[in-house]
Amino acid sequence: MFTELNSILNTSPDSFTRGEFILVSDRQSDASFLIHHFLSFYLRSRCKVCFLGLVQSFCHYSAVSQRLGVSLTQAKEKGQLVFFEGLNESLSLLIPQENNTESEAVNFLRDPAVGLRSLYEFVRSSVISSGSVEEGAEEWGPPVLLVDDLSVLLSLGVNFGAVLDFSHYCRAAVCSQLQGNMVMLVRCNGEEEEEDDGDEETEALLKGLTHQCSLNLHVQGLPTGYCKDIHGQVEVCWKRRQGDGPHTQKNLFQYKVHDKGASFFARGTSSAVL
Amino acid sequence: MLSELLQGIETGGLLIIRDSCSYSGRDLLQSFIIAAINREEVVHVLCFDVSEEELRDRLKPLDTQRLHIHNAYSDPLGWTGHPAFTVQQFSLEDLTGLIKQTSQPKAALLVIDSLSWILRHMTPPTVCRTLQQLRKGGPVRAVIGLLHTDLHQRGTVGSICHLATSLISVAPGVKGNEAVAKITKRSKSGKVLLDEEIFCITEDLTVTILSKPSHPEPKQNNTEEEQTDPTANLTFNLRLSDSELEAKQKLALPFVFSKEKKTALLHPGPGTGRILYEPDANDDYDQEDPDDDLDV
Repeated sequence: MFTELNSILNTSPDSFTRGEFILVSDRQSDASFLIHHFLSFYLRSRCKVCFLGLVQSFCHYSAVSQRLGVSLTQAKEKGQLVFFEGLNESLSLLIPQENNTESEAVNFLRDPAVGLRSLYEFVRSSVISSGSVEEGAEEWGPPVLLVDDLSVLLSLGVNFGAVLDFSHYCRAAVCSQLQGNMVMLVRCNGEEEEEDDGDEETEALLKGLTHQCSLNLHVQGLPTGYCKDIHGQVEVCWKRRQGDGPHTQKNLFQYKVHDKGASFFARGTSSAVL
Repeated sequence: MLSELLQGIETGGLLIIRDSCSYSGRDLLQSFIIAAINREEVVHVLCFDVSEEELRDRLKPLDTQRLHIHNAYSDPLGWTGHPAFTVQQFSLEDLTGLIKQTSQPKAALLVIDSLSWILRHMTPPTVCRTLQQLRKGGPVRAVIGLLHTDLHQRGTVGSICHLATSLISVAPGVKGNEAVAKITKRSKSGKVLLDEEIFCITEDLTVTILSKPSHPEPKQNNTEEEQTDPTANLTFNLRLSDSELEAKQKLALPFVFSKEKKTALLHPGPGTGRILYEPDANDDYDQEDPDDDLDV
C-alpha cells in the first residue's frame, strides 16, 4: 500500500468511497505495481477480496504482498481472500487429472465464443457472502474484485465485447448491488495514434472500460524516454463529479517504484532534479 | 440551438448525442430528461449503462411520477435468470408493450442510455429498423439516444446518425468544465442547419450556453484587437482639427527660402549694420617674404 497514492486519491483503508470502478491501464509501461497496491489496500481495509490473477502465480503475488506487509496466505486461510489462480485453473481444464476438480470458470478456453458467463458466476458466488456465517468466522467488509489483467482474456481468444459484458455484469453485481469496489487492469502496447497495428481489440476494450469506470489511472512511460530516477507518469482521471469541480478532472503525476513502495510527485519535482 | 433543442423535440424526432472517452454526454442526456419532465412530458428511460438508483439519485429533486425507468442495467443478457429488460427485447413490439403498461394517455419520450450497448449485441440494420419504426408513431413521440462513437466502426455510427433528425456531438472544451457541442439539425423540409456552441453543465444539471458564435476562437481574437487599440490613451494628438491644420499651413518653416527672405538678405534695408574695412600695412604681411623684397 502506497500512502502517497492514498493521499492523491483522497482515500485511506479506514474510509474509502464505495461503489467505485477503478480502471488501471498502461501503455508501453507496467502498471502492475498499482494492482499490488490495491490488493494490499483492500486487504488492510478488511474487505472481502476476490482476486482474479490471470498472469502470475499465487507465489508471485504473495511474495510482493509480503514486502508490502500483507500476508496473502493468512488472508486466504481466514476466508478474507478468494484467489483465482488462472494459470493453475487453465492447466487443470486442459490436462484433467484425477485429484483436481475441474473448474467451470475457465470453460471459455475450450470455446471462446461462449463468453465469460461462467467466470462471472464464479466471481458472483465468491463475493456474495454465504447466508450462514460459520461460528467464530470473522465478518468482512464490502466485497472487492481485482482483476490482473483483462487483456489476457483477449489473447486467449475472447472477443472484446464479451470482456465488456463481463465487466458490466461485475460492475452491476459488485459496485451497484453490493456497494463494493472493483479494480481492473488493462494493458496496451501500441501507440495511441496508430490505428492499424493489429491491436484494435485492446484499444476498443480500453475505450469501453473507460466509459464504464469512475476513476481511471493511466500509467505511461515518460514522453522524453527512459530515466533512472523517474519511472513514468500516472494520469489520474476522475469521471464522477467531485463536488463543484469540473466534469472530468485530470491530474498528472510522475512516479518512481521503490523496493517497498512507490513515490509520487508533481511533474518536474523529482528529488533527482531539484 | 442547444437551448432550442432542450425546449422540445418535434414529434417523430430522433436526437442522438454522440460522445467519446474524453467527454461523457450523459450529463447532457440527463439534462434533456429533466427538461422534458419539466414540460410535463411522460419520459421512459432505458438504462443500460447506469443503474436505476444512480439515475434516480441524479434526478432526485424531480417529481418522478411521469418518469419511468426500465432497468436493463442489472441483467441485460439474462445471465442471472431474472432479467427486467434484455437487449433482445429492443424491438417495436416489446417496447410498445412496455410503454403501454404504464397506461398514460400521452405519447411518451423514450430515452436510451446508451445505444452503444444495444449496438454491441444487435446488428446495425436491426437497431436502425427499430428506431425508424419507433419514430413512425405509436406510443413513442420522440427518441433521444446516447451513442459512444469510439466503440463502433465508423459505418455503424454513420448509419445511426443518418436516421437522426438532430445530432449533438460533444467534446471537451478549452477550460475546466466547458464543453463544445456541434449540432446538426435536419428540418422536415430537408434543410440542414449546423451550429457550434460552448456550454457547461452545473451540478444540478442545468445547461448554460456560454457563447453562440459558430467560430468562437477567431472572433475572440478580433475583439481582443479592438480592445487593445494603441492610439487610445496617448499624451499627444495624432490628428489635427481644421483650425490647427490651417495654422500649421500658415507657418513658414525656418531654413526654407522664400522670396521675401531672399530679397531681405540680398538688399538689407536701412538701419542695419555695415562693416567698414580700411586695409592696414600689416595686414598684407607675407610669411614667405617677410621683407617684401622678392619679386614673385
